[in-house]
Amino acid sequence: PSQPLTQETVINIDGMTCNSCVQSIEGVISKKTGVKCIRVSLTNSTGIIEYDPLLTSPETLREAIEDMGFDATLKDSDKE
Amino acid sequence: MPKHEFTVDMTCEGCSNAVTRVLNKLGGVQFEIDLPNKKVCIDSEHSVDTLLETLKKTGKTITYLGAK
Repeated sequence: PSQPLTQETVINIDGMTCNSCVQSIEGVISKKTGVKCIRVSLTNSTGIIEYDPLLTSPETLREAIEDMGFDATLKDSDKE
Repeated sequence: MPKHEFTVDMTCEGCSNAVTRVLNKLGGVQFEIDLPNKKVCIDSEHSVDTLLETLKKTGKTITYLGAK
């Protein structure tokens, strides 16, 4: 059987000020299609997301966080 | 315009900012956020369902308190 694909992306998230913001983001994003694991750090203002590249993309995830009312930017800037 | 009152489980400025942003994105709303009482009062022609959906995007627990 083929190994499931997993990639990792780091997204800068601005506008989080407390743990409840962190929990909201983790709660909503972890339910998105293709997301395997999300770790949000309040001190670093980042979210590290493990995802299946066949099901979702960093841009989709960034938009999802943006949609929640936070400022989200992709850290891997190779596309800019 | 109809006024609707919601309870949003906000605990900090970041939460209320998130609410502000999603409501501004929706557009066509005037609202007041009362952070200490966890209340959001919205003036809008949008349906309650639309407003609820929008507020739910933040990932917070939302309760509709009714028209005011």
